[in-house]
Amino acid sequence: MHLNSVHEKLLQGEGGDANQLAMQILVEVGDAVGAESLVPIKSAHVQADYIGLHDSGIALFERFAASGGKFGVPTTVNPASIDLDGWESFGVPAEFARKQIRLCEAYNRLGGIRCWTCVPYQVCNFPKADETVAWAEPSSVVFANSIIGCRSNKAMAGLDIASAILGLTPKFGMLLDEERVARIACVAPPGRFSDLDYRSLGYLIGRSAGSKVAALDGAPKDVTSDDFKHLGAAAASAGPTAMIHYVGVTTGSSSLEKAAGGEKIETVEVSRSDLDNVEDELNQTEETPDLIALGAPHLSVSELGSLAKLLEGRKVKRGIKLYVYTSHQAYEMADRAGIRADIEAAGGKLSQGTDADVSPLKAMGFNVVLTNSALLAETLVADGRVKVRYSSLNDIIGEVLA
Amino acid sequence: MSSKTYKCHVLVKGKASGEALFSRQAFSFDRAVDPRTGVVADSRSGMAGANIRGNVLFYTRGKGSTAGSSWLLEAIRLGNGPAAIVTEHADLAAVVGASVAGILYGKAIPVLSGIDAQIFWKARGKTKSVASVDGSAARVVLTG
Repeated sequence: MHLNSVHEKLLQGEGGDANQLAMQILVEVGDAVGAESLVPIKSAHVQADYIGLHDSGIALFERFAASGGKFGVPTTVNPASIDLDGWESFGVPAEFARKQIRLCEAYNRLGGIRCWTCVPYQVCNFPKADETVAWAEPSSVVFANSIIGCRSNKAMAGLDIASAILGLTPKFGMLLDEERVARIACVAPPGRFSDLDYRSLGYLIGRSAGSKVAALDGAPKDVTSDDFKHLGAAAASAGPTAMIHYVGVTTGSSSLEKAAGGEKIETVEVSRSDLDNVEDELNQTEETPDLIALGAPHLSVSELGSLAKLLEGRKVKRGIKLYVYTSHQAYEMADRAGIRADIEAAGGKLSQGTDADVSPLKAMGFNVVLTNSALLAETLVADGRVKVRYSSLNDIIGEVLA
Repeated sequence: MSSKTYKCHVLVKGKASGEALFSRQAFSFDRAVDPRTGVVADSRSGMAGANIRGNVLFYTRGKGSTAGSSWLLEAIRLGNGPAAIVTEHADLAAVVGASVAGILYGKAIPVLSGIDAQIFWKARGKTKSVASVDGSAARVVLTG
């Protein structure tokens, strides 16, 4: 990878230890992936959840912070593994919470924006089209590339913080025009889509597209940004997916031909029974859940409002907890609008700045989790210690709310 | 005993050998491997119950969370990481995890891509094959 004289000096340590460490990571990764050069980024989004980063992640963050590191561009952060404002009330073991708090302190010292959300683009960072960014959190990367039209690779933990420190990232993958063209088409089945259909379809795209950028044709044009958020999250959980051309929605992809850059591409027809198969695969049990987890990614304030309406006059059955995960900002707005009170009246609990897919659910005492998040279901199936059920929001409400 | 050599693409340099573990799926280290033991948890990986420690891990491609690299880094730090990783399509999580392990702990492992996943289908589940990975010569030798 070509380095200019400024990059070379940073690599030699002339810009201090933190910048040198960050440059070492960028150079190693850039060389590995065959990047031509380093390019500036407008923003970074990093991961700092203890469940994902472990003790080696604490060591990396603390080393950057102790050696005087500061984020070189506006930097946001994914959900923490605990509700920072009330982890005790969620039954998180204190030793685990202390590890997360150390990570938060190191992140804060580096000068990051304390948003603790997987949807920075819905609450605190609004990039323009064509900006280059380095975001961790696969669902936000899919949203950035597909809907906002900016350019990001999946900034893996380690690459994310190094990019954030220097405001630079290796130029490869989704940053290159030729890599952003659709190479495979997935055709959605006709008809209306439930919340679960969007997620299951995303999951299938992630699995069947492999390493190729996919175009999604035939899916409802009235898809909301929240629907797409969940579709992208599901896709990125099942594959290396970083971009989906949602035909008719993604800018520049008004037709399949345009998404594919005029080339003829392989087509995969998705049927209703394919969607049912995803449900069967992610449904690991028939047991009664002890937790209903809604989030992963964070629900927006409008999703919280819709949920509050669905919950009106209902009550979560005894022995089952309902946790609803959102950002600090949406929590605050939901609180002001009485939405939080409505969710609590139904026996639910709103949790901010954390999410179920990065929470220590087993250690919090849960054994069977019911969700409509394919991302959460996928995470729990891989983990294997907590059983998972995957159902649409309507089915969940019908079954576990009296 | 037969021995076959496969030409690959080097992502992270290094030499290693170990028993071959094959997954015919996309794979993420996030949740699927316990870094404190090296044991594979994901029941769908075709490697469930196997230990990655010191073995050469073959899978088709990466998937999922951007924490895949940090789960790998933690496993390597604790001495429970694989000896090498070989995939069909380059897995950025493996690249970043292995690179950072080299920078922080002097424990980089070789990562290669470009192997034809057909060989994973021929190798039935856990085999007793031994893989020898040479990340300078860009080749993987499978014996067994």
